[in-house]
Amino acid sequence: MLSTVLEQVVNGIVTGSVYAIVAVGMTMIFGVLRAINFAHGEYYMLGTFGAWFAIDYLGLSYEASIIVGVLATMVVAYVVGQLVMSRMVGAPAESGVLATLGIALILQNTVIFVFGGGYKFFSGGYIEPISIFGFSLAQQRILILVVCLVVFVGLELMVTYSRLGMAMRAVSQNVECCEVVGIDVPQVVSRTFILGAALAALSGVLTAPVNVSVYGGMGELITFKTLPIIIMGGLGNVRGTFFAAMILGIAESLVATYVGLQFRDTVGFATLILVLMWRPHGLFSTQARF
Amino acid sequence: MTHQFNRRMLCISTAILAIAGSVPFTATAQAADTIKLGIVAPMSGPNARYGGFSLRGAELAVKDINDAGGVNGTKIQLFNADSQGTPVEGVSATRRLIDQEGVDFIIGDVSSSVTLAMQPVAEDAEVLLLNAASSNPKITYQAGVGGFKWTYRNYPTDENRALVVAKYAAEQRGFTKFAVLSVDSDYGRSAITFTKKYLPEFKGQILSEDYYKEGEVDFRSVLAKIRDNGAQAIIYYGLADTTPILARQMVELGIAGKVTLIGNGEFNTEKTIKSAPTALEGAVEAAAWLPQFDSPASKAFVEKFTTTYKEAPNNHAYVHWDTVNLLAAAIKQAGSADKSKVRDALSKIKYKSPVGDVTFDDHNQARLPMILLQIEKGVPSIKGAYSADIQYPAK
Repeated sequence: MLSTVLEQVVNGIVTGSVYAIVAVGMTMIFGVLRAINFAHGEYYMLGTFGAWFAIDYLGLSYEASIIVGVLATMVVAYVVGQLVMSRMVGAPAESGVLATLGIALILQNTVIFVFGGGYKFFSGGYIEPISIFGFSLAQQRILILVVCLVVFVGLELMVTYSRLGMAMRAVSQNVECCEVVGIDVPQVVSRTFILGAALAALSGVLTAPVNVSVYGGMGELITFKTLPIIIMGGLGNVRGTFFAAMILGIAESLVATYVGLQFRDTVGFATLILVLMWRPHGLFSTQARF
Repeated sequence: MTHQFNRRMLCISTAILAIAGSVPFTATAQAADTIKLGIVAPMSGPNARYGGFSLRGAELAVKDINDAGGVNGTKIQLFNADSQGTPVEGVSATRRLIDQEGVDFIIGDVSSSVTLAMQPVAEDAEVLLLNAASSNPKITYQAGVGGFKWTYRNYPTDENRALVVAKYAAEQRGFTKFAVLSVDSDYGRSAITFTKKYLPEFKGQILSEDYYKEGEVDFRSVLAKIRDNGAQAIIYYGLADTTPILARQMVELGIAGKVTLIGNGEFNTEKTIKSAPTALEGAVEAAAWLPQFDSPASKAFVEKFTTTYKEAPNNHAYVHWDTVNLLAAAIKQAGSADKSKVRDALSKIKYKSPVGDVTFDDHNQARLPMILLQIEKGVPSIKGAYSADIQYPAK
C-alpha cells in the first residue's frame, strides 16, 4: 500500500517536472508582458516535431535531435517575438489573448499541413526501464527529473544575479520606469519570450520518448495543463511555478490511481477553481503583485 | 478623399465578390451529371490516422470505379469534410457537404460519437448516411425499424466484438480476472457495457475499470494498479495511436508478458508490434478486417493499396473502400442514382464483399463477421471469423 503511494508520488513528480519546465516559460512571459501566452503548448509541440524530424529525416541521434528541436523552436519564437509579442508591451490584455490564440492556430495548422494530421512515432530516447525503490521507471524519466532541477536552479540564479534576469524583474514591475532608466524593454520581452519557448521545446523533446506519439494537436493539452499551474504558482513567480507543478503532477497521479484515469484532467481545473476562490494571487504570494 | 476611396473599394470588392460568387454556380451546373459522395472523417486531431486511411480507401475505390467508366455510365465525385473526431465538427462537416456541395450520399464517420450526432442531420436532409467504421450498437438500434430511415451501417458492432473477445479469452486462454482500460468515448464505453453483459457467462470478473481521454499519454498510474490487483488481461478498446504508448509503458512497469492485452486497437500493425514486442505477444484482437485475411478479393485490395500508397492498408482503409463499392453496387442495382431508389436497393441487396456475402437486417445493419486474431511470435495469426445475429432490445 505504502509503496504504491510512494510509486505514484514519484510518477507525479516526473509528470510535474514536465509541466514545470513548460509552465515556467509561460509564467516568465506573463511577468514581462502581462499576457497569457495561449500558444505556449505549441512551442512544446514544435520542439518535439523538430526532434522527430531530425531523427526520422536527417538521421541524427537523439542527443543531437534535442539541440535541433530547441534551436528550431527558438528561431520560430524569434520571428513571432519580433512580429507579434514585442508589439504587445503595454497593450490591453484582450489583444494578448487574441494574438496568442491566433498564433496557436497558425502554428498548429501549419505543422498539420506540412506533416499531416496523423500521429508520428518518436523512436529516440532512453526507454529501457531501471529499478529504483522496488519499482521500475524508464531512464528517460530520471533524465527529465534531473533536467528539471538543473533548469530551475539555473533560472533562479539567472533571475537573481544576471543582467537579463534583473531587467526581466524590472520590466515585470514597472515598464515606464524601465524606459526612463534606459532598459530596452522590447529586447527584454523578446529574449524572455525566446527563453520561455526554448524551455517549452526542451520539455517536449525530453517527454517525446516516453509519450511515443507526436502530432500537431499535442500542444493544446499542455497549454491547458500549464494554465492552472502558473495561476496556482502566482503569475510571474518562478519558484511558485515549480511547487505548483509538482503539486498538480502528484495530485493527478493519485487521482488516476485511486479515483480513475478519466478524472485526471479535471484535477487541474478543480484546483484552479479552488485557488481562485481562496487565494486568487497564487498559493505562494502573501499579496497580489499585479 | 478617404470617403471616395472607400466607395471605390466597395464597388471593386462587390464586383470581385459577384465574380467569385458566380464560379461555384457554374461548377454545380457542370457537376450535375456526377454522383456526389461525401466522406466525413477525422482528418486532424487524435483520430487523424483513421481519417487518412479512410479517405485513401474511398479514393482508391472511386478511382477504380471511374476508370472503369463509372456506375451506369456516371462518374462518382468525392468530397471530403474533416470531423476532427468530435461530434460538433462532424455535424458542421455534414451540413457543409449537404448544403454547399449538395451531396446525396455520405459515408462517415469513424468515431461512433460523431456518427450518432450525424444521424439526425442526414435524416432531416434525407441524405443517405452509409456508415463504414463506427461500432457502437446504438447507431443501428435507432435505425431502420428503430427510427432513422436514412442510416445504414456496413460494419460489425461492439456487441458482436465484445462477445467474440470475451469468449475467446475465457475459453481458449483461460482468463478469469480482467482489468478494463478503454477510451472514454461511445466506442470504448459501449464495448465495455457489452463485455459486462457477456462476461458472467464465462465466469469472468472485472477487477478495475478505467477510461482514458483521447490524447492521454500517461498510463503508469493505472498500469501500476493493474500490476498490483493481479488481473490476467487488460480489456482494451482503445485508439490505434494509443496502443504503442500503452504497450511501451507496460514494458516500463514490468508487466509486459505477464498481463495480456485483449480487445481492439490495431495490435496487428507492424509498427505497433515493433514498439513493444514483449507487451503485445499473445495479444488478442477482434477487428472487422485485417490485411492478413485470406480471400482473393481481400489480398488483391491489399496489393493494390500498397502499390498505390506505399503503405499497407488498415481496417479503416478497407471498410471505406468496401463501402464505396457497396454503394456503387446499390446504385447499379437501383438503375439510377436517385437517393430513395438507392436506399431501397440497399435494403434488398446481396453484395459480395471480400469477407463474405453482405445483407442488411430490418435495422439497416449489415450482417458481417468479426475476425479474431492473436499475436504469435511477433506476427498476427487469424483464429477465425465469427458472426452473430444482433438481439435488438424490445421497444
